[in-house]
Amino acid sequence: MSVVGLLCIPFSAAFILLLPWPRKIMRFIFMAGGMLTAASGWTLVFGSHFQPRIFSLGGNLMLDSLSAVFVLLIVTIGVLSNIYASGYLFREGPAELSLGRLRRYAFFFHLFLFTMLVTVLSNNLGLMWIAIEATTLASAFLVNVDDKKSSIEAAWKYLILCTVGIALALFGVILVYYSIASRLPAGEGSDFLQWSFLVDKAAVLDPQIIKLAFIFVLVGYGTKMGLAPFHSWLPDAHSQAPGPVSALLSGVLLSCASVSLLRFHILTKAATGSAFSNDLLILFGIFSVAVAVPFIWEQADYKRVLAYSSVEHMGLVAVGFGFGGLWGIYGALLHVVNHALTKSLLFFCSGHLLYQFQTKEIKKVQGIFRKDPFLGSIFFFAVLAVAGMPPFSIFLSEFFILTAGFLAKKFLVCAILLGLLALIFAGFLRQGSHMTFGAYSGGAPLRERNVLMDGVLAVGIIVIFVMGFYIPGPLHELIRQASLLAGGNTP
Amino acid sequence: MSSESIVHLVHFLGMLLLITSLGIIASPLLSACIRFYAMHSFLLSLITLAIAYNHHLWHLGISALLTFLLKVIAIPQIFFAISRKIGVRKEVESYINIPSSLFLAVILIFVSFYVTAGAKTGSALSSWEFLPIAIATVFLGMLVMTTRKKAITQVLGLLLMENGLFLMGITMTFGMPLLVELGILFDVLVGIIMMGIFIFKIRSAFEGIDVDDMTVLKG
Repeated sequence: MSVVGLLCIPFSAAFILLLPWPRKIMRFIFMAGGMLTAASGWTLVFGSHFQPRIFSLGGNLMLDSLSAVFVLLIVTIGVLSNIYASGYLFREGPAELSLGRLRRYAFFFHLFLFTMLVTVLSNNLGLMWIAIEATTLASAFLVNVDDKKSSIEAAWKYLILCTVGIALALFGVILVYYSIASRLPAGEGSDFLQWSFLVDKAAVLDPQIIKLAFIFVLVGYGTKMGLAPFHSWLPDAHSQAPGPVSALLSGVLLSCASVSLLRFHILTKAATGSAFSNDLLILFGIFSVAVAVPFIWEQADYKRVLAYSSVEHMGLVAVGFGFGGLWGIYGALLHVVNHALTKSLLFFCSGHLLYQFQTKEIKKVQGIFRKDPFLGSIFFFAVLAVAGMPPFSIFLSEFFILTAGFLAKKFLVCAILLGLLALIFAGFLRQGSHMTFGAYSGGAPLRERNVLMDGVLAVGIIVIFVMGFYIPGPLHELIRQASLLAGGNTP
Repeated sequence: MSSESIVHLVHFLGMLLLITSLGIIASPLLSACIRFYAMHSFLLSLITLAIAYNHHLWHLGISALLTFLLKVIAIPQIFFAISRKIGVRKEVESYINIPSSLFLAVILIFVSFYVTAGAKTGSALSSWEFLPIAIATVFLGMLVMTTRKKAITQVLGLLLMENGLFLMGITMTFGMPLLVELGILFDVLVGIIMMGIFIFKIRSAFEGIDVDDMTVLKG
């Protein structure tokens, strides 16, 4: 399986789905496309025998250990979301989606997977920018599936705010290009934007210009990653999108933006040889965690609580990148993986809850456990996991990130972080136990859920539980190599 | 033409570019805004062409041609079609009135010249003189986005920002590699079409395209 081959699958699946298929066949092609993408993603990553770098398309695409982690993440969450959506959105009977909307959904879903794969696989900073902008364009129609007033508003804000943010990142890319083009003779022009080339030549870049570029990229890709104070699109888009799309947005899209930011961070550190970008990342990371606290406590809509928790976790990832060192980067990358798995599970649960209660208000949702022990227990365990409770995987990666902080002797930052995490834990427990326990408050479910949806939940909870004790060998090796790559020559 | 006179011409075009961006801010009519945007893009493609001619860079010539086709012809036509369909002609509604936004615009232009005054001149790759103009254009685009109420003028502001970034790319670095340049233009075109579709959706859901009315989501 080659890199280009992997990219071809979701791309062609998207366009095949545009043809006027009947509902059943469309659903089959939709699922087959998702599974084929996942299978080829796994073959590509594990079949490459961990070669350090595989280039294709003239060096514009690159598979290294860092992008391999994210390819794995995209295809795995992608296939879970695909299966869940096949049960959730492709249902028949009352309140079914019209065929036209389903076709639009299926088309943009696969296109979205394609653009995210290009984002993490691109070695060319310009191509990376184009792909990130394309993820926004491809997912705007996934946020607005049902053409309701609130969904249109959310999609519009998402489109405009992210496009402005990403336009600022283009400013940063131009500055990086300038800094290399003004120092080296023309002729090698086509390589100038390639990340691997730039990191090799980091010594000749002008540190001042690279610092300026990093600030713009931080604002731009930070918007896409959901770092505060650029996060205002995030709760709207995550709460209005249907469950399986929220899972993709929160679990994978934010992670894709974080890896692009990490690549610029590596470049900045190599070019300036200072902790300039580390400090900025820690600052914005802490601020994001702090901003999320009051909203997790007081928010009245459970999908928005989950969205603010994504802001918090992306903040933690940024802090982990900022702490640096092997532990910091390893912890942050592991945190990206764990957050993606846990948060997507919670968003899948939100799809179940919407079936059961027909409302997103926390006040009106009570006694999930009494009505439905299966859903109730999975939901409550997932809430504990996302809040950072010990047996689950998120605790492990948060622990690594904090260890890195102590190793880097940033005691004050760690203390603040611990305090904020305790507050968030309490807030989650309050909201989660209100929803799970007590007398059942809903009526009869509007629609029957099906085995596909339940299966995704069961797989999800088992994975996050196991990951808390044991990180599978190949995944550990991949993340370790990626953090060596990102840690560079730091002590 | 001699290389000297081309440099003068390019500088003259740069000044005109700034004036047309002010024109977008000053005009109360949507159709005039669109025409000013088309003019802005036309000047941009002329500048690109002049630089391409002066430095014998054929890939910049292609950029100039594409800019002309896309931003001078296609995008304004799309805008005219949208505004005709949704029947918006006047764009008087803005959060601050036109004289004050012009005043703000002038301040922003001063700021952009001031902050770039320290930037080094005479580097290997020409025209740092354009840096303040490019930054000012980006600022003015943001000003349009934040002060206007209609969704369609927000998109216009976004396009103005994008023009500023393009100007920066061609004057500082003689343009990015052609592949990247093409990709950016493609993103812009698709983005405009998507936003156009959403403007129609907003109009049918909210009975108007004032972004003020979009207040369902809070907190």
